[in-house]
Formats: sequence, structure tokens, C-alpha cells
Amino acid sequence: MKFLAVINRYHLVLSAGLFAAGSVALYTGTERAVRNEVGEQLQNHRLELEARLAAGRPLPEPLYREQYSASARPRPLGFSDTLLLDPTEGSMVPHLQLTFRAATPGQPPVWVTLRKSMLETEELLLATLSSMLVMLALALTGNLLLHRYLSGRLWAPFQRTLVALRGYDLQQHRPLALPGSKIEEFAELNQALTHLSRRLVADYENLREFTANAAHETQTPLAIMQAQLEQLMQLPALTDDATAAPLLADLYGATRRLSRLHQALGLLSRIENGQFTQAEPIDLAGLVREKAAQLAPLLDARELALHLHLGASPPRQLHPGLADSLLHNLLHNAIRHNVPGGDITVHLTANELAVSNSGPVISGDPSRFFERFRKHNAASESPGLGLSIVQQICAYYGFGLSYDFAPAGARHTLRVRFEPAAKNPAERKKLAPAAPRTV
Amino acid sequence: MKILLVEDEPALLATLVEALRQGGYVVEVAADYAQAADKIKVYRYDCVLLDLTLPDGNGLDLLRTLKADSSPAGVLVISARDSLDDRVAGLDLGADDYLVKPFHLSELNARLRAIIRRQRFQGHSHLVFRDLVVWPDQAEVLVHGEALALTRKEYDLLLYLLANPGRVLTKEAIAEHLCGDSVDATDSFDFIYTHLKNLRKKLQEKGAENYIRTMYGVGYKLSVE
Repeated sequence: MKFLAVINRYHLVLSAGLFAAGSVALYTGTERAVRNEVGEQLQNHRLELEARLAAGRPLPEPLYREQYSASARPRPLGFSDTLLLDPTEGSMVPHLQLTFRAATPGQPPVWVTLRKSMLETEELLLATLSSMLVMLALALTGNLLLHRYLSGRLWAPFQRTLVALRGYDLQQHRPLALPGSKIEEFAELNQALTHLSRRLVADYENLREFTANAAHETQTPLAIMQAQLEQLMQLPALTDDATAAPLLADLYGATRRLSRLHQALGLLSRIENGQFTQAEPIDLAGLVREKAAQLAPLLDARELALHLHLGASPPRQLHPGLADSLLHNLLHNAIRHNVPGGDITVHLTANELAVSNSGPVISGDPSRFFERFRKHNAASESPGLGLSIVQQICAYYGFGLSYDFAPAGARHTLRVRFEPAAKNPAERKKLAPAAPRTV
Repeated sequence: MKILLVEDEPALLATLVEALRQGGYVVEVAADYAQAADKIKVYRYDCVLLDLTLPDGNGLDLLRTLKADSSPAGVLVISARDSLDDRVAGLDLGADDYLVKPFHLSELNARLRAIIRRQRFQGHSHLVFRDLVVWPDQAEVLVHGEALALTRKEYDLLLYLLANPGRVLTKEAIAEHLCGDSVDATDSFDFIYTHLKNLRKKLQEKGAENYIRTMYGVGYKLSVE
């Protein structure tokens, strides 16, 4: 619900309450004023009549029947209310009456009752309510218009802040640049947001630096180990001792594995940090062919047949490194978990990429295949990160990833479903308004 | 062939210098940005091996300086930063090649040779090894003057061996050279054996000497004796 709507709702409730109380006050106030006024007039008439009687003149004939009446029998004195029928209107009209005892010297006393009509309750009520309702309507409309005007004017800085926040992209490594505002609250908000974004940028930079440094710091000693082991292997003395060289070779292989493991973990953390924002149109069919050619020696060695069914697929906006890693890991996985003489089939359509391969039946929960360090065979030398990387890349681009196994022919299929192209982050970024840049 | 090696890690620097000298290069070293900046201003090199992460500066700036001076030196970037953006930035700035640490020294040799060949001869060069002549730009191999028909992988393998005469090449290094960085130790390296067997057979059929030695449990070596 909009802020304005909430405010208006409260205004409506408050106004309705105030106007109800106001109506009651106005009604009773008006009634009391009318009664006072009418009472005063009756008293004046009484004085007039009494003066007339005192002067020895008789009471005049009343002009209207209800003006006053005289009676020889005693009546209760003072003010009282009564209802009289108005023959022309045909309705009962409230009257205030004043009864007094008029004594004329030498005559028996008479009791005179003066009457005057009051406002009709219904009419008074109607007049009060209608005027109050008109007031209410005017006040509310005025309020609405005022708020609309204010929201356009006063809330403009807020809207600008909102647009800037929506378009904000941490990947640009720039804090928000929000303008100051004359309104204290917005100025404070902008200041707080700018401060927050500065801290975010700093934290993000730290994280990036940490990842880069961790990779650097680990890879450097590994590079030294690897280079020195390779130099050791060149020593002529090694040819004299048949056991030493394979030891060195194993060490060399282990160093290499450690370094690959670290690279894979580094890649995973960089994907999670979203550090692969740049994208270019990638022709997946071409890339599949390229990777297939690269892996051809491995396919040959395991006597695997590769069938490519590469349909028309529009170029996708992907990071070249991630696209390469995605295809490599999918194909490599299909090679690794295959049987000698088996086959691999790659289907590429505009909507999906499916890699299926023959392979031994794998026990266990398929959803756990994507877990890190998940190995189908505990003795395997593979660190089990390939499918985690595939999953991370798919998650990063919003692609669907599924695995299924068909017992007939023992086929494993990994399916990557591409979402509409506009859903991938690179496209989204293009559609979003550019954040203000400071130089 | 004169090479400037810019590397801040002393142990790695020493090993690289040793390996490069064994490969027949004249090597000068710079352990930090300032030294490297001085040397590239004063001397001329055939190739600069450039580490990007230096204690007192960014190697990419040295690359910019080299290109701004239109230096004829080839540049091979070596860095532990394998974030693709650095790689792309390096190549965009005009580096000839990029190697990610840790790398195989034999791979470094092969890349270095390729750069220098392009740099010095604009490609019009050939390699001679005993009874072999190779024209890399035409991908042509002659044994005793007679053309030898090789598959793509066999040819790559031969060229890799020729770039590292007398050095032991590990199975890992050969496998990664042939299949790109993508293969790892979990893959079977049998395919190297198959390719080597075929290469040897073809060379012998043309009457070449058998100079490819198998180093048991380790890898292979192109014997210079």
C-alpha cells in the first residue's frame, strides 16, 4: 500500500470522527441557541401583555391561533415544550410555551400561555448534517489534492533515491552518489545510504582482494614446488636410481592436483561473489565443437563415441570463462563417469543443452551429486567439484539444471534449460537504469 | 636470446632462471617493479616474462610502458591471478601470451619459443634438430628432406618435444599441452602413449633416429646425444 494511501486512510478515519463530534456539537449548540432566543422573545411578549393589562386594556385577540391562549383555570407556570399540529404542513411542530398568571385589577386572574414555534428537529438535523458533510468532502478533497501535490514535490527526492538504489550495482565498485536534500529526513536518508554503500563497496573490495590474495598466496608456493620438482627431474643423477624418478613424478602430480583443487575452489567462490559480470555473445554450438576437439584424445583413449546434435541456438550473453567451464565440466563429467566403449550424446537446442552418457549405475540421491567433494567412488582422485561448478554457473545465470537416469541402456542425462535470454544477469543489467557515476 | 624475468618470489625466480639458462637463454632478472621499470627503459630484450603482482606495483603498468615505448620485446605474462579479467586485460594491452601459475617449465619454454620465433623472424623460420627440419608456419615436417605426414596431435607433440630438447617432460605437462589446461591427473594419460607410439613409428619409417626416450614413470625426453 502506498504511503499516501495509508495517510489518507488515517485522515479519513480522523475526519469522520471529528465531523461526527462536530455535528453533535453543532446540533445541540444550534438547538440551545434557538431555544434561548425563543425563550427571550416569549418573555418580551409576556412583559408587553402584562403592561397592556396593567394599563387596563384587555388582551388582544391572537393573530394566529397558536400565538397565545388564555384560560380561567390555573395552568402550570413557566416554560414547557409542546407539540402542535401545523395544519398547513400537516406535521407536528415543536413549540416552546410560557405560561403566566395575568391579574387585572377587579377581574378574576387568567392564565396566559404564549407559544412560539421552534426549528423542526428533522430540519435542524438535516441542515447540520448536510453542511457538515459538505465541509467533510471539501476538507478531504483538499487534503487529497494537497498530498498529491506534495508527493509530487516533496517526495521527489525520495523517488530519486529509490531510482538510484534500484539501479545500484555493486559490481561497478562505486558508492552511491545521492544528492543532498532540503528536507532533513531525506538528507539523512541519503547520507545513511551513501555511507552504507561505501561500506558495502569497501567490504566487497576486501572480499575480492581476499579471494585474489588467497589464490595468489597458495598458488605461489605451489608454483615454486612445481617448478623445483620439474627441475629436480632434470638431474642426470636420477637416471642412476630407478626408484627416485617415479617418486618425484608422483609428487609432481600431487602438486598439480592440489593446485587444480585450489583453482576450482577459487572459481566457485568467485562465482558466488558474482565476479563474472562481463558477458559477450557466445555461440554455444561452436564452443561445444571446440571443447570436443580439445577432449578428443581423452575420448579416443577410452574409446568413447561422441555424437553431437547441435541445433540452431541463438548466441547467449555469457562470461566466456564461465561458458567454457560449464561445457568443459559437463563433457568431462560424461567422459569420467563412462564405460570403455561407451558413448556421449550432446543435444543443443534453442532452449536446452542435454549431455547424456552411458555409464555404470550410480547409487545414492541424485540431488546430492551436485554437492562439493561428492565422489561417486571414494577412491577416485577427482576432487568432485565439477558438477558443483556446473550448478553454480547455472544458478548464476538462472538456468535450470536437472539430472536423470534411464535404467534402460543405463544412460545418465544432465540437462541445462536456458531461461528466456532477458533473464540472465547480464541482460538484466542492461535493462536496469544506469546508476549515477561519479568521476 | 635475451630475456628479462620480472618475478618477486626469490625461490621461483632462482628456479626459473636456472631452467631458462639451461634452455640457452641469456636471463636478466628484476625482483620488483622499480628494477623492472629501469631495465626496460635502458636495455632491449627479446622477451619479457612479466609477473603481474609485484610488491611495489602492477605488472600491467610495465606492459603499458613497454607498449607506449613501442618496444619490440615480446611479453609473456605469468601470474597467479587466473581471474579471466586479468588475462583479458593483459592480452588486450598487447601481451603475446599468458601463463597461469603454477605452470610447467616445459610449457613456458614452448610458449617462449613461439613468441621469439614470431618476434624475430616474423614467422619465416624453421627448426632443425638432427635429421629433422620443421617449418612451424606451414606445419611442415621434413625427415632427411622428405615430408612427414602427421596428425594434428602428433605434430603438436613433436613441436613440444622440440621446444624442450634434453628436458624431461612430465605426462601432466604433455597431456595439458595437447588437451589444453582442461585435463587433470584423474584422466587416463594413456592417450599420450598412443600418440607417441604413432609418432615414433612414422619417424622411423622415414629413417629418423630414435631420439624420443621414455623416462619410466615420469614422462618423455627428446635426447640430444
